[in-house]
Amino acid sequence: MKTLICLLLSAVVSAAAEDHAFFESKVRPILVEHCYDCHSGVNSKGGLLLDTRQGWEKGGDSGAAIVPGQPDESLFIRAIRYHDEDLAMPPKKKGGKLPEADIASLVEWVKMGAPDPRVAEKKIAGMNADEAMGWWAFQPLAKADATKSIDDFLDVKLAEAKLAPAPPADPHTLVRRLSYGLNGLPPTAEEVEAFAKDPSPGTHAALIEKLLSSPQYGVQWGRRWLDVVRYADTAGENTDRPLMHAWRYRNWVFDAFNRDLRYDDFARQQLAGDILFDKADAKQRSEGIIATGYLAIARRFGHDIDKDIHLTHEDVIDTLGRNFLGLTTGCARCHDHKYDPITAEDYYALYGIFSSTRFAFPGCEPKGQPRDMVPLIPQAEADALMKPWLEKNAKFEAAKKKQLTAAKSAGEAIAKLGGTSSKVLAESKIAEGASVPFEQRLRVRKGEVVQLAVSPNESHGADTTLIEWRITETEGAKRSWSVAELVPDLMKGNPHPSHDGAAWCFLETTSAPAFLTDKADSIDGNSALQKWRIGDLPSVLVNSADQQVMAWTTLAAESFFVHPGPKRPVAVAWISPMDGEITLSGRVADAHPHRSDGVAFELKHIAAPDYGSALSQLGTSLKPTAEPEPMPLIPVAYAVAEAKPKNDRLHLRGDPEKLGDEVPRRWLSILGGETVPADAGSGRKELGDWIVQSPLAARVMVNRIWEWHFGKGLVPSSNDFGSRGEKPTHPELLDWLAAKFVESGFSVKAMHRLILSSAAYQRASAAPAAADPDNRLLAHFPRRRLTAEEMRDSLLTASGQLDLTPAEVHPFPAEATWKFTQHNPFNAVYDTNKRSAYLMVQRQRRHPFLSLFDGADPNATTAARQTTTVPTQALYFINDSFFHAQADALAKKLTSLPDDDTRITEAWRVLFQRKPTAAETQRTNAFLAGYPADTDDQWAAQVRVLMASNEFLHLD
Amino acid sequence: MSSFTLTDMNTSHTSRRHFLHSAAAGSLLFPGIVQQLLADSADPLSPKQPHFPAKAKNVIFLFMTGGVSHVDTFDPKPELVKGHGKEIKADHPEIKKRPGYERIYLKRPQWEFVKHGQCGTEVSGLFPHLATCVDDIALIRSMHTSHSNHYNAVLGMHTGSFAQSRPSMGSWVTYGLGTLNRNLPGFVVIAPKQTYAGTQVFASDFLPGAYQGTLVVPGAEPIANVAPRVPTNRQQLELAALRQVNEEHIATRAGDPLLTARIQTFETAFGMQMAVPDAFDLKQESDATLASYGLQRGQTTGFGWQCLAARRLVERGVRFVELIDTGSSGNWDAHGDMMTHAPLAKNVDQPIAALLRDLKQRGMMDDTLVVWTTEFGRTPFNNTADAKGREHHPWAFSSWLAGAGVKPGIVHGATDEIGLRAAVNPVHVRDFHATILHLMGFDHHHLTYRHAGLDFRLTGVEESHVVKEVLA
Repeated sequence: MKTLICLLLSAVVSAAAEDHAFFESKVRPILVEHCYDCHSGVNSKGGLLLDTRQGWEKGGDSGAAIVPGQPDESLFIRAIRYHDEDLAMPPKKKGGKLPEADIASLVEWVKMGAPDPRVAEKKIAGMNADEAMGWWAFQPLAKADATKSIDDFLDVKLAEAKLAPAPPADPHTLVRRLSYGLNGLPPTAEEVEAFAKDPSPGTHAALIEKLLSSPQYGVQWGRRWLDVVRYADTAGENTDRPLMHAWRYRNWVFDAFNRDLRYDDFARQQLAGDILFDKADAKQRSEGIIATGYLAIARRFGHDIDKDIHLTHEDVIDTLGRNFLGLTTGCARCHDHKYDPITAEDYYALYGIFSSTRFAFPGCEPKGQPRDMVPLIPQAEADALMKPWLEKNAKFEAAKKKQLTAAKSAGEAIAKLGGTSSKVLAESKIAEGASVPFEQRLRVRKGEVVQLAVSPNESHGADTTLIEWRITETEGAKRSWSVAELVPDLMKGNPHPSHDGAAWCFLETTSAPAFLTDKADSIDGNSALQKWRIGDLPSVLVNSADQQVMAWTTLAAESFFVHPGPKRPVAVAWISPMDGEITLSGRVADAHPHRSDGVAFELKHIAAPDYGSALSQLGTSLKPTAEPEPMPLIPVAYAVAEAKPKNDRLHLRGDPEKLGDEVPRRWLSILGGETVPADAGSGRKELGDWIVQSPLAARVMVNRIWEWHFGKGLVPSSNDFGSRGEKPTHPELLDWLAAKFVESGFSVKAMHRLILSSAAYQRASAAPAAADPDNRLLAHFPRRRLTAEEMRDSLLTASGQLDLTPAEVHPFPAEATWKFTQHNPFNAVYDTNKRSAYLMVQRQRRHPFLSLFDGADPNATTAARQTTTVPTQALYFINDSFFHAQADALAKKLTSLPDDDTRITEAWRVLFQRKPTAAETQRTNAFLAGYPADTDDQWAAQVRVLMASNEFLHLD
Repeated sequence: MSSFTLTDMNTSHTSRRHFLHSAAAGSLLFPGIVQQLLADSADPLSPKQPHFPAKAKNVIFLFMTGGVSHVDTFDPKPELVKGHGKEIKADHPEIKKRPGYERIYLKRPQWEFVKHGQCGTEVSGLFPHLATCVDDIALIRSMHTSHSNHYNAVLGMHTGSFAQSRPSMGSWVTYGLGTLNRNLPGFVVIAPKQTYAGTQVFASDFLPGAYQGTLVVPGAEPIANVAPRVPTNRQQLELAALRQVNEEHIATRAGDPLLTARIQTFETAFGMQMAVPDAFDLKQESDATLASYGLQRGQTTGFGWQCLAARRLVERGVRFVELIDTGSSGNWDAHGDMMTHAPLAKNVDQPIAALLRDLKQRGMMDDTLVVWTTEFGRTPFNNTADAKGREHHPWAFSSWLAGAGVKPGIVHGATDEIGLRAAVNPVHVRDFHATILHLMGFDHHHLTYRHAGLDFRLTGVEESHVVKEVLA
């Protein structure tokens, strides 16, 4: 019996050994040579890995690759046999079909049951499972050691590296550092002097408190948060539409920093403020909604942004991962993360949360008007506001409708009067951009009508058309009438009475004549532009200004236009006051060439003497309908709301048209994987909780605060705490700070107090030391250039022009006027003397100043500003008009002082917050004396020199 | 003086170029102070060696906005002429679910094709001047792209990415090679109007800002803030004072490269005020040259101006010059009427031909690569045979290369018989990029930049190949 067992066992063993030998000698070499290129390690074409048993067991997009024992059932074998054209491996460009002998070996191997010793280590997406579970950034935070300080951690490493810390910075340097660091603005000379007199820790702490309680603190630190969440004032899709209401989120962020909103709540509210405060008081509810602007400002893509909404969701998931968690979650859209433990299932678990959310819709080319803005007052309140207006408007609409019906039948009757007496005098097509003149002589009787009608051609084209038209008697008084006389007061009436009993009428002439009864006293707020219309089109309009107006097209100065509707001609009719001969002369010109097929016109004489009076009578009987009262303004936010909750299905290889299995909405598996409860709605509220409960949230945020003070984070890759990021230079310090942060109640201001009171923060700056060229051990404070915003705000401060009050909405054109297309996208730069954090930032077109000086990327999260130094920046400091204007303003103030010595002292006080040295005074005097210009220009030049200097633009 | 010189000193032309480079290297502001800019390795724009020796040192990239119809320009299709009006089926992105496009019909080109040059490459009557240059051109008739929207296709042609913003090709090349003349930007884009996707087409994105394209709008002030606001003698006094102030400041802050670099930029900027207007001062050109580009003396706009300015910039060491013919409207997007191609072709035809001849005459073709392309082609069909226009067509279009390292007088690839699909040797935009980088001396796999923990490259993660057949 024993022998038998031994024999059997040895048979098994030897069979295994044979299998192994077969695999090693016949199979592995083929796989390595022909398959590994595309199907091993991080390369998994078609989702297939052939470098482990688990790889072919799981298979790729088309399912398991090998069915052990059954070569004919195995996709892998079908592929190498070139069975199907679509699935023929290796592909031609990789060497093509294998030699028959190799195919035979692989078939034999599968027949044997596909013995494969290559067992994969257990992995979670791109990371070995054990490593993932033990990854430093995911570990819970220990309690902070109360006996330690920041300097304890730093000093150990400095001592180890035998680096001597730099001496403390002088008071002047420190006050400038603190003032810019916390408020983004220079200190006053008085603040520097007060501190210099008593540079005690008490004064230091008092200065920090003063700066933290300034409203300018929120602007500076809020702007840093906006960098991280890639804030922009436009949507970024093909037309780059303005976001009218995004400013509320921007200002909410500034305010949140000012009131030191707990960071965990700050995060939660941005994800789910609408849900959190659904039942709260009106103010909180409104703030909660505004906070979710964080999600709404996600970038929009393409022509029809609904079609590319999966990219917007990716933008949300990617940004959220980086900005809150320091994880590159977006990398798991098409496949499991290649390096970190984030699976594609994780990605689609989050995806479902956002596809269960309704994002405010900014509009796009095929879907012009914005919608789904979130009202900031309760529905009942909004209804109460709207109700009286709706009632009034309904009455208005009803009256208008009634009048239209009556006018229509009257118009039909009038048309009959015209009957057979009409004669076409001239007609012509007008090609794109062309102008066609006309000249006619005819005899008219009193009450007859001459009518010039303009209609669109075959394309949909309705087009702005310029009309010049003069009517002159050939005999007698040679009186004359012209449409030019309508330009100054078009709104006087329709019929528009003219001199000597003549009148003009503005009509739609699709079938019977219909008066344009709707008035618009202004267009786009420009009262030089006025029009008569029915609905939107057709219309008759004028530009009464003495200069051209750039509207939807360029409208020439003091001109008269008509604008037909699609298939709806528009006409100007002149009612003759007398019998006699007249000449008609003028021209009709396309005033808005934009690639359609132009318009046509028809000049007609309606020789029925009662036609004019009937027309005139009808027109006078119609009450011009004034514009309805403007709709009450309901305050709204560019924010999100709950949609119908649903799970999403995996997008295979990121393709939204190739759907895989449904993935329940849940948290990242490596961080716990909790699922969204069935009755919980989208899951945004839960997501907010999971994020802030993760140790990553505190680690990532304290690292940012550190980075924004020291120029580099303890983890230098502050948006990536995963395996491709950099490890912390001082891991214990990072954890200690994170624990302190949590213990302080997530108070950002408490972190400032902690960091700013450290010796490390207060050290002098110095040149890089050879032993630590990147100053990662912080032996000295890193010198830095001002950011773009700090630079511009400093120039405005020095010139005395800076307006410190908060800005609100940008002066965007009114939504109703938008006609943005990918051919004519939104494009604007708005000047302001407010803080530069309020500059309007577009996604498609970089702001010229901000992009020149390394402003944040409005399309992707910016953890830290770059500092590039290029000559075009220097050109700014030599020739830019804004720069010159600021220098001139300061120079003007200086030259109002009695003498050069006083001026020099004042200049240094304003610009550098210190006294000039004797050498500086002497040199300035010499410069002024040698500069061949008058005093004002001398000083303007001197101020430019100082404002362009490294001292003005750098912080030690 | 700079260590950089051009090797060939045999012609008077190259010595002029040598002079230009050398003058650029020295300081115009403080004569006698030799700047070490070109040797300074910390300078992001200092000249660098590519991966392997390359013929092309500069690129002139001609971009036609809006989608040039291949079947009306460079891709003759007799079968399309014969089949005019014939109904076809195609699962085409531009007609899917589009009302009125349930049925589609072939539409013949409006222009005749004639063989030209020694090589006999056929070109349509739209480009009579360019047709005389076919012996210098490698025409690719099998281009295809990944998107049928202007925005995405234009972004893709410039950055390799069809949705997200990424660094532009010009930025990649400048990043890889640095620049030869610090008085001018390394990457210049001359465009009368902005094309689709706005400034993203020449943005450095995550590459350092030094590699961003500098926009030149033809007209009085081609580069922002280049026109001096005060007379030169005063400006010199100011800049000398600034230098003194900064030197005093740096005296106690020795060894800070950023402060030093900033001081240097003022000298470069001072030089730019002269170098930029000089580069764009076409008055220095002969009447014959101006006439060849179709320019009137004193003219400062038009594609002829752009082409001649491009030659002058490349002469002065600018690495990458892109010329965009027109903006995001009124361009080659001929939905309404193919005849709108005629004025657009006329706008560029003579200037491009003149540029090619001019470069050749001056021996500059030996180190300058000229690229001509658009974002996609136009459909060989429409919803009625009589429709005057054509729709967007990502499946096939034509582009061409000429100059350094390019095999002249050839046609590469082909579309099917009606110009619907790139059928023979298809060249994707990514392959096109890989080829351009190859000509500049780069293996596109290895011209990478580490951003957000990943190594990015122009050609992205999907497979792409150098089109070897167009290499000389």
